[in-house]
Amino acid sequence: MTEAYCPECETVVRRADRFCEGCGASLTEARRVAIPRHEQSADTPCTDCGNAAAFDEYCNVCGHRREEPDRDEATLGPIVLVTDRGIEHPHNEDAAAAGALVSTGTERPDSIAVAVCDGVSSSAGAHLAAVAASKAGVDAMLAAIVASKKSRAAMLAGLAAAAAAAASAGTESASAPSCTYTAAIVAWTADGAQITVGNVGDSRAYWLPEPPAAAQQLTVDDSLAQELITAGASADSDAVQRGAHTLTRWLGADSDPEPWSESSVQTTTVVGPGTLLLCSDGLWNYLPDAADIARFCSGTDPGAAARALTEFALNAGGQDNITVVVIPIGGAS
Amino acid sequence: MSSAEQHGISVDVDHNPYLAEGTGTVDAIVSITADVQASAAPDRVEAIIIDCSTSMQAPIGKFDAAKRAAAAAIMEIVDGTYFTIVDGTEKAASVYPKEGLARANTETKAAAMRAVDGLRPHGGTAMGTWLAHVRGIVGQRKGAIIHAILLTDGKDEHETPEELGQEIGLAEGEFTCDCRGVGTDWEVDELRAISTALLGTVDIVADPEDLADDFASMMKESMGKSIPDLTLRLWTPAGATVEFVKQVAPTVEDLTHRRVDAGNQSGTYPLGSWGAEDRDYHIQVAVEPAAVGREKLAARVSVVAGEEVLGEGLVKAVWTADTALSAQISRRVAHYTGQAELAQAVQEGLSARKSGDEKTATAKLQRAMELAVESGNDGTAKLLGRVVEVDERTGTVQLRRDVAAADEMALDARSTRTARVRKES
Repeated sequence: MTEAYCPECETVVRRADRFCEGCGASLTEARRVAIPRHEQSADTPCTDCGNAAAFDEYCNVCGHRREEPDRDEATLGPIVLVTDRGIEHPHNEDAAAAGALVSTGTERPDSIAVAVCDGVSSSAGAHLAAVAASKAGVDAMLAAIVASKKSRAAMLAGLAAAAAAAASAGTESASAPSCTYTAAIVAWTADGAQITVGNVGDSRAYWLPEPPAAAQQLTVDDSLAQELITAGASADSDAVQRGAHTLTRWLGADSDPEPWSESSVQTTTVVGPGTLLLCSDGLWNYLPDAADIARFCSGTDPGAAARALTEFALNAGGQDNITVVVIPIGGAS
Repeated sequence: MSSAEQHGISVDVDHNPYLAEGTGTVDAIVSITADVQASAAPDRVEAIIIDCSTSMQAPIGKFDAAKRAAAAAIMEIVDGTYFTIVDGTEKAASVYPKEGLARANTETKAAAMRAVDGLRPHGGTAMGTWLAHVRGIVGQRKGAIIHAILLTDGKDEHETPEELGQEIGLAEGEFTCDCRGVGTDWEVDELRAISTALLGTVDIVADPEDLADDFASMMKESMGKSIPDLTLRLWTPAGATVEFVKQVAPTVEDLTHRRVDAGNQSGTYPLGSWGAEDRDYHIQVAVEPAAVGREKLAARVSVVAGEEVLGEGLVKAVWTADTALSAQISRRVAHYTGQAELAQAVQEGLSARKSGDEKTATAKLQRAMELAVESGNDGTAKLLGRVVEVDERTGTVQLRRDVAAADEMALDARSTRTARVRKES
């Protein structure tokens, strides 16, 4: 093993240290990604007419609005994030963000924080809420972890920050932009990977271990359908089918100030190898069974799995925006 | 001079942005509101042109009423305003001051009223020379709010229509002009040609006794203007055609042919001088269709003073396969389309009536009556009621046999006034 040095004062440091014993500098580096990325350069030519003069929203020759790419894909270490507009929706109102805390001198993250948000289409500017909530949630979770908070506390801090960000997003529009929020924190311990999930709405997190272990859904939807099922209705019943997408909780200016259910925050410790997967309903609509999603992830690299799942949803109709985040969880460290 | 920052201009676009696949006609109602704050008084110039042709002698009292009207207007001129009083016949002459412009104060206004009182009818009528005379005088105060009031009682006789047309063209953009016809021996079309080109109003004052009140209120209105010249700049995408640009409230004025190319796929249209007021415009643009799901900017509407953009509105187009979305017509687009058709039906109906084509006249005026009633344009409906008779039972319309000339001319002159629909908030 090579030795690690503090980036500030070059003191030799131990890998488990979060702060330098010599100068007190933080030894963890926070890395982040977020999709979809809208910041297209204003000076790229118009894809419709080739106009090379700079323009922002609308081409000043042909008038076309800059087309957002149908898909955006990002990686953060081993984590792969994919979001796709789908077929039916004119715009992508989903968003996802991921962050990792990496100690000086290592590449493998100590902790990971991920969030997926699905903008509620009935609200204007829903994508603004989704983008703001996912980024704010991940930032707050990372900050809490750096401050040595436990995963549950970090998850609640993320929920609070995401709720505040969604509530103040796009306030100039008449209807309150709103979105779902599903997050996961992974921390590696001696026993394996500790996964903490929390959610508002119906985006989901799954733990998909390599077979023969059974795949499981970690989150419980905040939807009318889930409430009916909890009350004893059959998943195939008409009432459940009709209520499948009616949210009972969401983030936004018109939601409760603390719209999450504390019982949604759950922690489990898993032993890999396997895959932690977060997704919006644009995916699970077509693959409601966790075992079916697991088949896409088994034995493939995370990028291929995320793309294959997205393609499956597109081929099945792509009725909604599709967002998938694949986090490979290796064996015990 | 007032500066542009003192004026709040807001531009609101009201339209259905959704277009069916393969179509490209975008209609929008653009409302421009000027919120004018009290500011340093701008430079103002007023010209009052009084018809002094011999026909003004009859009936007795008409010319005296015209003189009283001019005096009433002079009374309303705010001190500091530059002004001139013009004696119009087959020639034009300055009555007060004898040359150039006077600066309004108690003394100059009193002197102007004395000079007006001394006027006598003495010649013919050539309105083009009147406009030319005013243009020559006011040209020395470019950049000011320049406004003229033109009063006549008869037809333009001592020059050719071409000469008049040419003078109107030369006066365009130099000053605005409100035209008034007293009695019933003048031509509505003639005065409308002047008022439309010079961004003013036209009306009949049937009874000379009403002239003084009308002149006073016209002058008061003019004193309320504080932005000399606004321009509407319209950008459209490559391949687009501007089908029309019309003011639709408070009156219908087609500005389409007033376009001046401004480069960069833009054209400008004159909006004249503004006080605290709002006006509505109907813009129709045909753009090249885009694919379903795509969005395009069909027009960018800017309100410009000089080179400064004071307000801007975007007219967007979104193509959709959902016919429930694309089939909707904006309530205000529909309303103002009806108001423009109403003005046209009235004018065409009256023109057909004049030329003895009763069948066309009846059909056009019946359509006009329907539109006026449907849209709540009570003013036009009332004026129409004096020219046609509506069968209460069948709703059909018959031309009245005994129509007063003044009623017919009032209907014609006021045909462009529209009923307004405000934006739903």
